[in-house]
Amino acid sequence: MNAALTLRERSEAEASRLPPLLARAEHLAGTVLLGDHGRRRSGMGDDFWQYRPAQIGDSRRMIDHRRSARGDQQYVREREWQIAQSVMLWVDQGASMRFASDKSLPTKADRARLLGLATSILLVRGGERVGLTGTTLPPRRGNAQIIRLAQAWSEDDQSDYAPPEHRAMIPHARAVFISDFLGPMDEVELALTKAADRGVRGVILQVLDPGEETFPYRGRTIFESVGGSVRHETLKAAELRDRYLQRLAHRKDALTQLCRATGWQMGLHHTGDSAQAALLWIYRALDGGTR
Amino acid sequence: MTVLAGIGFTAPWVLLGLLTLPILWLILRAVPPAPIRRMFPAVTLLLGLKDDESVSDRTPWWLLLLRMLAAAAVIIGLAGPVLNPSRDEIGSGPLLMVLDASWAGATRWPATLDQIDAQLTEAGRAGRTVAILRLTEPETPVFQAAEAWRGHLPGLMPNPWQPTEPQIAQTIAALNSIDGGFDTHWFSDRLDYADHAALVSSLQARGDVVVYQAASRPMAILPAAYQDGLIQLTVQRAGPGPEERVTVLAQGRDPAGTARVLHSVELALEAGNASAQADLALPSELRARITRFEIQGQRSAGAVTLTDDSLRRREVALIAGSLNREGLELLSPLHYLTQVLNPTADFVDGGLTEVLPANPDVIVLSDVAQMSEPEKADLIEWVEQGGLLLRFAGPRMAASDLGRDTEDSLLPARLRSGGRSVGGAMSWGEAKTLAPFPETSPFYGLDIPDDVVVSTQVMAQPDPNLADRVIASLSDGTPLVTRKALGLGQVVLFHVTADAEWSSLPLSGLFVEMLDRLAVASAAKSRQEAQLLGTIWEPVQIMDGFGTLSDAGTLAGVDGVELISGQIGPELRPGLYESGKQKLALNVVSEETQLRPVVWPANMPIKGQEVSTETPLGGLLLSLALILLTVDVIASLALSGRLGLARTTAAALAAFLLVPEGHAQTPEDTEFALAATHELVLAHVLTGDAQVDDIAQAGLRGLVQTLFYRTSVEPADPIGVDLERDELAFFPLLYWPISASQSQPSAEAYVKLNAYLRSGGMILFDTRDADIAGFGASSPNGRKLQQLAGPLNIPALEPIPRDHVLTRTFYLLQDFPGRYSGTEVWVEAAPLDAEQIDGMPFRNLNDNVTPVVIGGNDWAGAWAVDRNGQALLPVGRGYAGERQRELANRFGVNLVMHVLTGNYKSDQVHVPALLDRLGQ
Repeated sequence: MNAALTLRERSEAEASRLPPLLARAEHLAGTVLLGDHGRRRSGMGDDFWQYRPAQIGDSRRMIDHRRSARGDQQYVREREWQIAQSVMLWVDQGASMRFASDKSLPTKADRARLLGLATSILLVRGGERVGLTGTTLPPRRGNAQIIRLAQAWSEDDQSDYAPPEHRAMIPHARAVFISDFLGPMDEVELALTKAADRGVRGVILQVLDPGEETFPYRGRTIFESVGGSVRHETLKAAELRDRYLQRLAHRKDALTQLCRATGWQMGLHHTGDSAQAALLWIYRALDGGTR
Repeated sequence: MTVLAGIGFTAPWVLLGLLTLPILWLILRAVPPAPIRRMFPAVTLLLGLKDDESVSDRTPWWLLLLRMLAAAAVIIGLAGPVLNPSRDEIGSGPLLMVLDASWAGATRWPATLDQIDAQLTEAGRAGRTVAILRLTEPETPVFQAAEAWRGHLPGLMPNPWQPTEPQIAQTIAALNSIDGGFDTHWFSDRLDYADHAALVSSLQARGDVVVYQAASRPMAILPAAYQDGLIQLTVQRAGPGPEERVTVLAQGRDPAGTARVLHSVELALEAGNASAQADLALPSELRARITRFEIQGQRSAGAVTLTDDSLRRREVALIAGSLNREGLELLSPLHYLTQVLNPTADFVDGGLTEVLPANPDVIVLSDVAQMSEPEKADLIEWVEQGGLLLRFAGPRMAASDLGRDTEDSLLPARLRSGGRSVGGAMSWGEAKTLAPFPETSPFYGLDIPDDVVVSTQVMAQPDPNLADRVIASLSDGTPLVTRKALGLGQVVLFHVTADAEWSSLPLSGLFVEMLDRLAVASAAKSRQEAQLLGTIWEPVQIMDGFGTLSDAGTLAGVDGVELISGQIGPELRPGLYESGKQKLALNVVSEETQLRPVVWPANMPIKGQEVSTETPLGGLLLSLALILLTVDVIASLALSGRLGLARTTAAALAAFLLVPEGHAQTPEDTEFALAATHELVLAHVLTGDAQVDDIAQAGLRGLVQTLFYRTSVEPADPIGVDLERDELAFFPLLYWPISASQSQPSAEAYVKLNAYLRSGGMILFDTRDADIAGFGASSPNGRKLQQLAGPLNIPALEPIPRDHVLTRTFYLLQDFPGRYSGTEVWVEAAPLDAEQIDGMPFRNLNDNVTPVVIGGNDWAGAWAVDRNGQALLPVGRGYAGERQRELANRFGVNLVMHVLTGNYKSDQVHVPALLDRLGQ
């Protein structure tokens, strides 16, 4: 009884976080107008593609009698090829994402979830199946899946730097990884090579805070990770700036190299910028990849 | 006390603490600034980055120096440094400080207190007990520790009187009750008073007496006297001295009610003279506003003299026999009187019954013949109590039976029936001039201009006592002005009118001078003991020793005789007293006062009032240490990066560079004014309802076209005005369509609107709902109109009468339709006395333009045309509708003509009558 009540209470609290995220994601997705997303080829599907003269080998039941009755020739009605793709998303839930260098900026986690959910909404509207990497939420279609995704992303991970989830990837599906990629690179490398082995291609979006790009700190400082597991003390933070920026560029470079090797695409987004630009980039990158 | 280079230290051993400074330096140098914790996810990228070895983690030298200075300031501050330590020899035993504490020392009171403070400090250091005694408020002296007295010092105030004999006696008694001897420091005000010598000997018997007194002599101003049109001011000082110049300020309220210096006069006290006098000629208006004279730079009760009724503005009630008709100001029987009295008197408005309770100084009756019995009785009572009744003759008085057979109590002479007229077309002889004034007349000595002639007057009936009452007569000996006493007051009759109908007297300067003589003679009242006998005067404001007035609170009233004969002291405080409507100022210094300098016995040491103040520096140094530490906090924060230096600097720079916007006239204002004035422009009020505003604009455009084609009025395109923003004064006519949705203008907008209406503007209110609003019914727009027009100054209204000038300014109209017709149109009501004269087609109605026209016929709708001149909205049906539109246009033309020409058409109707009278 008591346990159930607590669970109920907690889930209410969790659910209360959902609508704003959903609403904002819907709002963001609404800014992208869906064009024609057919495959531009005849195939299995619902929409009319073309009439072609019946050829030998066509089953008689494929003949479109309405068109054929106008003349002597018999026509077959072809439909546009429409295949629902499976898109798997991984959004970093680690503690390192819960950071914003300024009060006016959203946290990286907030921006990453917003982008992930907006992408999902767009994909679901396009008829694709969307899910999470791993076994928790396999790709499905329909609006209910959006709710489940939102629910899954409203839970925080306690660990400082979460490794990309690469289990249970569906072969030849698409994938979207959103993270700051500041954790260990081996995990990322492992995940991407494993995905490439299975024919999964996709995009990774690195979300960074403007403070992480400019390093505007001075004086004697102890830098701590959000979770508090890693710390570094310096006497003059301003002296470290150049070397830090060098390392950051190095990290971005490594990610780009990795993507190039595996056929993925890499994007960079700062929380100070508009979310819509990032969403458009993700959508175009996915669209370009699937065509 | 240890003294080093002019600075003494109360606790010199604390300075040993300075030795610890080098140790502090070493400790502070060793400790680096504390680190700041920051959350930073990209710390993984920082791992392994080593700090450069050359980076210093030590506190910078200048910050260390700052802290050293702060520490040194604290140590030195605690050692108790004193600048100018006093090195006087210090006596021992109890010390009595005697203060005159009269008004004469009030100017130097702060200096005296400083000196007492310094002496208290000294006495405290020497461990002497002290008592302070004020001679103007003696109490039994209590010897206490000097420090205890310092807290009482701010409460010691000078009193606005000199020590009185009973007070000196009380003091001597109190001194005798003290056991043992004591030294005395006497802070004198340099003024002598009764029993001074007795007090000196009494004090000298008990111990050493040292006198402290300032070099400057006390100064006082005597009450201002008013004589022969001049204010006489006298300044007196205690005994002759070197040449001195003082400035006397006349303080009062300006017309706005703000207290300010109205005038100032400089007096020179010559060497060897104890007093100086100056005469001040001020316009009577200014004179009446003066509330006090004071010597500039002196802050004592003696340097202030209050004025009372004697310089006050007179209150005059003007009452005319005939009601004043609006607009005929130059013909008003009171016009000249108003002009003459305006600078010197305040007017009391109202009828006789209303003004009598206000008890004015003068009541002027111009051509009033008939009064009711109660009115007459009240008026007689008022005159008997000292009022001045000034009467002027006139046609009504000449035609009445007033004072015909018996002498009227409110007339100085019996009058002959009908009066007489000389110098006219139908009479013999020339118009009469004035005879020189007899010596007994109050007008004696006034110059009589040659051009003052009298053509008509009322005649006095010869009586045995008439000769005594004539104070001005014509060249043929007939009385022109007569006067008689009635009780304490008097009745004066001018046998001519107050306007220029009967004589040219009101046009001349003589009239002003005569009125001045009469009114002045009644306003100046001298205070005699007999007059004040039995009266009780209530204090309103009392003066303190510094000459500042304060509320009298619950002080008891004072008997009148006591007030002018008693000695000022704790029981009789100087200030303003009131009895009924009369005011009396009781000043510290009276006319008889002689200031005498005090004479001390030859063996008595006298010291000046210079004081070399000790300045303790401890607080200063400790504050310096605090400031340094604050700077240190900011500098430390900046060094460790906790202070957003860049951001703060940017904000400060931005704040510095932001130039406040001036309130100069903007180019938009100028453009608007140019557009509104380069030609005649009609305007409509923007209601915020786009449709209504468009129709109003189109309507005025149509009206402008009509005017252009048919009349010589050629206005430019109409303008929509925003009541909040735009200046209204440029427009002769404002069309204000009412829509239920428009918002209420702000208070500032109403101020503008009222100014607009007052200055001759006209607003045409149009509720546009004549098809739904019937008689007595209220429509939404009608209610809105009531709301909007509520705060406006709108006179009484009436439906347009048949003979209103609006019906004939250009077209002859009898109704005023717009898109609708039928409801009445309201304009300012005609005055009550407008009567139709036989043979005239119209009444002579109000002279000015009606400020508002209110109706609901949607005129703009009927006038409205588009850019091509085609009517926008339908009116009625067929030919009848077009006829109605034509009438609406004619109404518009009439309205604009009325605004622009006023009563011109109204006067034109007299032309046939004038021609007829001229016999042509």
